This record gives sequence, structure tokens and C-alpha cells, in this order.
Amino acid sequence: MSGAIERQLHIIDFTVSSLLRRKGKNGALLTVYTLIVFILASVMFFTHAVKREAALVLRESPEIIVQRTLTGRYQPIPISYVESIGEIRGVISARPRLWGYYYDANFLANYTLVVPADQQPEAGTIDIGSGISRVREAFRGDTIGFTGHDGKPFAFVVNRVLEEESRLLTADLILMREADYRAFSGIPPGYATDLVLKVRNPREYTTIAEKIVKLHPDTRPIVRDEILRTYDALFGWRSGLVIVIFGAAVLAFVIFAWDKATGLSSEEKKEIGILKAVGWETSDVLLMKFWEGLAVSLTAFLAGVILGYCHVFFTSAALFAPVIKGWSTLYPDFRLVPFIDLADLVTLFFFTVVPYTVTTIVPSWRAATIDPDSVMR
Amino acid sequence: MILHPTVLALVITSFLTSLMILYSGYYGIRILVNWDMGSGSELQLQLERRTYLISTMVGYLLALQLVSLFLFIFTADSISSLLVGAMCAVGTLSANGFGYPALLLKVAVFLLAGLWLILNRADNQGYDYPLIRKKYLLLLFMTPVILAETVCQALFFLGLRPDIITSCCGSLFSPEARGIATEMAGLPPLPTLAAFYASAAVTLASGVYFYLKGRGCGLFASLNLVHLVVTVVAIISVVSLYIYRMPSHHCPFCILQREYLYVGYPLYAAVLTGGVTGAGTGMLLPFRTVSSLREVLPGMTRRLSATSLACTAFSTLLVSWEVLATGFTLR
Amino acid sequence: MIRVRQITKTFNSGRPNEFTAVSGVSLTVNLREVTVLKGPSGSGKTTLLGMVGCMSRPTSGRIFLGEREITSLSERFLTDIRRRTFGFIFQRFNLINGLTALENVMAPAYPSGERFSSLRARALAVMEMFDLARKAGARVEWLSGGEAQRVAIARALINNPSVVIADEPTAHLDTRLSHEFMAIMRRLKEEGKTIILASHDPIVHDTDLADRVIEMRDGRVIADGAGR
Ligand SMILES: Nc1ncnc2c1ncn2[C@@H]1O[C@H](COP(=O)(O)OP(=O)(O)OP(=O)(O)O)[C@@H](O)[C@H]1O
Ligand SMILES: [Mg+2]
Repeated sequence: MSGAIERQLHIIDFTVSSLLRRKGKNGALLTVYTLIVFILASVMFFTHAVKREAALVLRESPEIIVQRTLTGRYQPIPISYVESIGEIRGVISARPRLWGYYYDANFLANYTLVVPADQQPEAGTIDIGSGISRVREAFRGDTIGFTGHDGKPFAFVVNRVLEEESRLLTADLILMREADYRAFSGIPPGYATDLVLKVRNPREYTTIAEKIVKLHPDTRPIVRDEILRTYDALFGWRSGLVIVIFGAAVLAFVIFAWDKATGLSSEEKKEIGILKAVGWETSDVLLMKFWEGLAVSLTAFLAGVILGYCHVFFTSAALFAPVIKGWSTLYPDFRLVPFIDLADLVTLFFFTVVPYTVTTIVPSWRAATIDPDSVMR
Repeated sequence: MILHPTVLALVITSFLTSLMILYSGYYGIRILVNWDMGSGSELQLQLERRTYLISTMVGYLLALQLVSLFLFIFTADSISSLLVGAMCAVGTLSANGFGYPALLLKVAVFLLAGLWLILNRADNQGYDYPLIRKKYLLLLFMTPVILAETVCQALFFLGLRPDIITSCCGSLFSPEARGIATEMAGLPPLPTLAAFYASAAVTLASGVYFYLKGRGCGLFASLNLVHLVVTVVAIISVVSLYIYRMPSHHCPFCILQREYLYVGYPLYAAVLTGGVTGAGTGMLLPFRTVSSLREVLPGMTRRLSATSLACTAFSTLLVSWEVLATGFTLR
Repeated sequence: MIRVRQITKTFNSGRPNEFTAVSGVSLTVNLREVTVLKGPSGSGKTTLLGMVGCMSRPTSGRIFLGEREITSLSERFLTDIRRRTFGFIFQRFNLINGLTALENVMAPAYPSGERFSSLRARALAVMEMFDLARKAGARVEWLSGGEAQRVAIARALINNPSVVIADEPTAHLDTRLSHEFMAIMRRLKEEGKTIILASHDPIVHDTDLADRVIEMRDGRVIADGAGR
């Protein structure tokens, strides 16, 4: 038993020294590998942290939102629905909301336009979030122009720049007076974007939602959990689909290409031949290759994860700024709360170490089955 | 399909596993057809070399399978929030017809790969590859199981549709049908607990007997397989109640979560390892008479049974601790 | 006693470049003797040594090591026997560059799982025998030709083999080092080792050290007689 452990130790020892002897090749591999782990780790940490932040913000949002749909498409909802819905048992309050999105093509940024329930800005003035203020270089008293729903230009005077208490919520926010918003967005009087309900008991969500649908078949009630769910799916899609597939493809390609290109140097082949000739068995060499792969993978993995962590949480994902445009222009100094999910790490491991390991199985085996008598010629 | 990074990782991994097993299976057939230990022909030498590749691959496969088994459950759990009506892995897995089959196949692959590695190890102890044919027949048997697992898992994930706002018209949480869990959950708790302890006691006793006397190996191995099933049923039907301290929560997966101190990981790992090593003991039984293995096999089966015993004892203790320490009583 | 019965080694069989390097060779190597294989280049000496030394398996024929038949053993067991029974000295020494002399000497014993401290002590003892103790920590690429040769011999002896196999050991040595090598072989013989040498160097096969000289040509044994 102790012999088996001692054998492992000897082989690990030998592996490490042989890795160090080929600093050039292994260093380059390690760098590429670390870089890829770093990119993937940054993406994962970033999206996850944003997702978490969003979930925290949404926790305070209303409990049931009622939208209207027509042939499956979203429609403004008549404000008259408020009364009948407000009378349903269990509903504490119902209130219409006016809000929407505005895409600023010049600055490639999305703004959220909201008509606040109280303390609406004066006519012709707006309150803007810090992100917009920075991007448009607009401060109190400046005039900002937007294009309305009918293509007409609208100009607003900035009344105030919103404090940065909860950056995620306010950075892209524009607060507007109701009349201004209707003119700007074209939502007719008597209609609202959606209704929000406060409900006494979460257990009654289902019944209340059913009653609403029965009352107004053209409405669609959404519970808060479903909003979270949508956010989850949305971020999952973005980060999952685009970046991870891309990253995995890059990884597979780079490492495969790397392995193909470099393969085993003749010196390394000779070395393995010598080891086999003097008494190493194929499985000893395989074991050595296993430890070698593990050492490289773990080093790259740890280094990449640590670098990614620093990148996302200490420099606010500075390197992503050019990539995630609409976002980062609005959230310049958006400091994410450091947070690591174990599942993220496991997933990252599966994306990087597993493909690497699998691609190295066959080359390792080839190396390990070099004829021992090859060194005799 | 829900394109969670973890889902992608699982799908890619199972795809790689399938590729490896197809590759191994192909050489398995060649080995079965052409193997001739007495010959020193180049074909024979090459085949002998391939065996190293195949054992390496199956070794990696087993490791991947174990991690991906847990990751699968974990993922099912974490994406349950994306599915209307699902509250944990149970809901996700029963979202379509492929969830539970995928899970069961994963467990099956783990057990088969474990058995294969045990067989492989025994074979390597003999100087003339005494078990080579059995080994590669088992490998060929494993191949379709692994492929099925890959297909099932892919179909399962493909069939999951994130119910984002557009497609869910106010349809709120409604209790979903809970598949096979219902049947097991319906078992009477206390008798099931008694059955669990009885099964554990018998298994441990037969294991100790085998370890000391070297007899009763077949019995021990069969009991281990029975005990594996009994344990899972007991966890669902009664142990979960103690762990969650709720009289009607029968989830076998929530115990993998942080709220329950991840107790499910050591528990399931011990149960699975105990089952594999125990069953492996029995699998090696018929080969005791093979001349090149006669000397090494008894030692190996003893070690295997010791491992199995340790795992079974550990899982039993863990269950007892949960049952006793929670102070929760079933009346 | 090592008995070789009718062994044949065919490379690339079934292909146009099929080549039989050793065909139908039978011979017996007695223990505690020095056996020399001689013959022109390409006559199959190295191939034969490889098979006798458990490095490769014959295409047909049998080899017995003592009473044990080794040709039908699995590679794992063959390696095990090779590690325990044979020590190899190669042409050009074949030391691993970048490692120290001591590490080179220890390398063959790593898979046996001996404790590091006892292995190291043993390696140092063997090196001491060859006057290499001072060079233990030196990288092998900086060693002189004679030192490298002695390191290679020390490595061959680390697992305490009963048979030492050397293939063209003097091919790249000058006369003085060749004689030094033969002196070491003489010492090993006196210690009771069986020695098999392959060479076409007269310094090797014309010594009184050779108990037996086997001459090969085109993969066959053409003469088998007592040494000088
Ligand atoms: N792997 C191989 N594939 C094909 N031919 C081979 C292989 N190995 C050796 N040979 C051939 O077998 C023949 C015998 O080679 P071997 O090395 O045994 O000769 P040798 O007697 O040791 O010669 P030398 O004195 O030059 O070392 C040579 O013609 C060589 O080309
Ligand atoms: Mg030669």
C-alpha cells in the first residue's frame, strides 16, 4: 500500500521536474490555457453577479403585474381595469404604470423611461440617471434631445441627476411627467403600460391571477417569481449561448491546434523511450502524463479563476467595456459585489479542464506506448 | 432548451463520453475478434497497447460520470426556478419524460464503469490477461447504455422550455405530477426505516462474514445491490422527512443543498461506492479458479469488501445521525 | 539460465516492406558468464538483445527465463521482469538531459515504489562504487564522457539486476574508455552478474573476459563458441 503511494510520489516528483525542464513549451501552453479560463471565468462571474444584483433589486418590485395582450402581443392596458381588479378580494392596491424603453442609436445605449407615481418632474423637464448623465455629458440645466414615437424631436431640460443609491436601477433611468411621456411615446390617454397590484397573501397569487383572467380575458398577470424567472432565462441565454459556446469553441480549437502543432518533441520521445527501456511500464508513463495534465490544468484553472475574479470584482470587468457596449457605457463604475457560486466553478471546470483532458488522452497514450527498444537504435 | 452554461457543460461532457465509449467499443470488438495471447504478431502487440488506452478512457469516464451525476441533479435543481411549477430537481426532472430515465442511466453508467474498472484491475493482476474477453464484452454492453444516457440527457434538456413571460398566461404554480417519486413517497415511513436497518444489518453481517471467512461472497454482493435500492427508497420515503423536518417533503435531491449541509453528497457517494465495490466482489467470484488469478484474487476481493463495508457503515451512520440528531418525530 | 528457442522477429509483416530481423534463433545463455554477440551491422544483434531483455516480444518462438516462459506474458509483467532482472547499458548512454546524475541513476526504480530515502541511499552507494559520489548533484550534460558512461552503468545496476545487457557499449568511446568499460564488466562478472554484450568492437569480443562468442549474420546464428 505504502509502495503504491510512494510510486505516485516518485512519479509526481519526476513529472514536476520534467515540466520545469521544458519551461518554454509548457509556459506557452499554460499562458494560453490561463487566458481562456480567465475569459470564461470573467464572463461567468460578471453575468452571475449582475443577475444576482438584478434579483436583489427585483425583490422589491410589485407582486403582480397585469399586462394586456392582443393576438399574443403586448398592448397598453385601459386604466379603467384598475377599478374592477382592485375590488378582487386579497388585492390591497392596484395602480397603473407608465414606462418604456428608449434606444439611443447615437450612443448605443438603452434607457428606461418611467413616469413616477408621485413627485413627477415639471413639464418639459426630466430627471436622469447617472449613467445617462455621464454618456450624454448632460447635467442639471442642460437640454437633451430625443426622438419621439412619431419621429419628431423632443427636447427636455435636465432637472436633476439621480443619486447613485442603487445603481443598477437608476443608472439608465429617465423620469418624466405623465403628459410629456404620453406625447413622447404615443400611449393614448386612458391607457397605461401595465398595472401593478399589491397582494395581501402570497398564497393567494394563483386565485387572484385566475380571477383577473376571468374578469378580463385579454390580460396576462405575471407574478414576481416569473419576473425573476424571465431575468434568469434572459441572462442565461445571453451569457450561456453567445459567450460560452464561443469560448468553448475557442478553447477546443486553440488547445487542439496547439497539441497538433507541438505534439511530442523528439527529445521528449527519447526521454520516454529511455524511461520505458530502464523499467517504466506503460501505465507508469500514463500516470506521469495524467499528473502532467493535472498540474497544467489546475495551475491554469486556478490562475485563470483568480485573475477573472480580480478582473470582474476589482476592476469592474474593465476589459469587457468595448464588448458589452450598451451596458458598460451606462455603468462605468458599477462595482459588483464579490460573489462566487460553486456551481459556476464546477461548470467552468467542465468547460475547460474536461475538454483539455479528453484531447490529451490519445496523445498521452501514444507517448506512453513508445517501444522501449526504440532507444536501442 | 434552456441554455444554461451548466446544461451546455453537461451535454458536451456526455457527448465526449459517448465518443470515448464508441472509440473504445470499436477496439473492444477488434480485441474480441483478434485477441491471441500466444501470438507475438504485430496486430496482437497493437491490440495489447490499445487496452491501455481503453482502460485510461474508462477511468476518466467513471470520474466524469460521477461528477456529472451530481452536477446533473444540481442543475436540475438550479434551473427549476426557470420552469413554471417546478420547485426543485424533482419538478425539473419530471418536466418531460426523459429526466428520470437520464438520471437512472447515469447511475447505471456509473455502476457499470465501476464494475468494469474492478474487472480491469483484476485482469491486470494476471500475467496472461485472463479476463480480457469478459472485460470487453462488458464494455460492449456498456456502450449502448452510455449512448442512451447521452441521448436521454440531450432530449431532456432540449425538451425543457423556459417559460418566459410570453408563453405563460398567468399560469402560476400548480403542483405537477411527481413521477416515480410519488410511489416511493407513499410507502409507510416507519416500516421502511425498519426495512432499511434490517437490510443494512444483513449486508454488513454478510460482509464481515465474507471478510473474515472468505465465504458467502455471492450473498454479500447480491445483498449490496438490494441494499442500494432499499437505501434510495428509504431516503425518499422516510429519511428525507427527518432531514427536512417536514412530514410530507419527500425529495431525494434537496439534501444536496446547502440548507442541509450538503449531506446528500457524502451519503450518495458512499451508497454508490459501497454498491459498486460490493457488487464487484461478487462479480470476481467466478474467476477465483483462473490459474493466473488464484493467488491475487482473494486479497483483492477482501479489499473490495472492506471498502464496501466501510461505505455501507458510513452511510448507515450518516442516516442514523440524521434520524436521531434532528429531534424530529414521526407519529 | 536463459533459453531462447526458435525465435523470429518480423517487422511490418504482411506489408511490402516486411523484414525478418531475427529468424529461428536458438541459444542458451549461462548465468554468471559473459556472452558476446558479434556480427556485421544489421545482423539482428540489437533486435535479439531486445527480445532477450524483455523489451519486445518475438513474433514467434519462446524464451525461458529460468523455468519461466516469458513470451506470452502481458506487457505489465514483462516490464516487471525487465525491471527486476535486467540492467541495460545503451550505445551513447541515453541519459536524460536536464536531470542530475543521481536522478538519472534513481529513475529506473521510481515505479517500484521504494521509499525515497532508502532509494537515494542505495543510488549513492552504487555511485560511490564507480567513484561518482562527487558528481551526484551535477547535471548529466556537463559530465565528461567517462563519467557519463559510469553513470549509465550505475543506472543499469540500481535495481540490482542479475543480468546486465549492453548494446554496442564502446561504439562511441575512445580506446582508453573502452578498456575502462571492460574493466568494469570484469568487476561485475566477478560479483556474479550475467553479462550479455553486443558489439563489433574487437576490444569487446576479443577479450579473455568473453566466455562465449555468438556470431550472427542476416538474423541467424552462424557460429557459437567459447571465447578466447
Ligand atoms: N522497427 C523496425 N522496423 C523495421 N525494421 C527494423 C526495425 N528494427 C530493426 N529493423 C531492421 O532489422 C535489422 C536488424 O537490426 P538490428 O538493430 O538488430 O541490427 P544490429 O545487428 O544491431 O546492427 P548494428 O550493428 O548496426 O547495431 C536491420 O536491418 C534493421 O533495419
Ligand atoms: Mg545494434
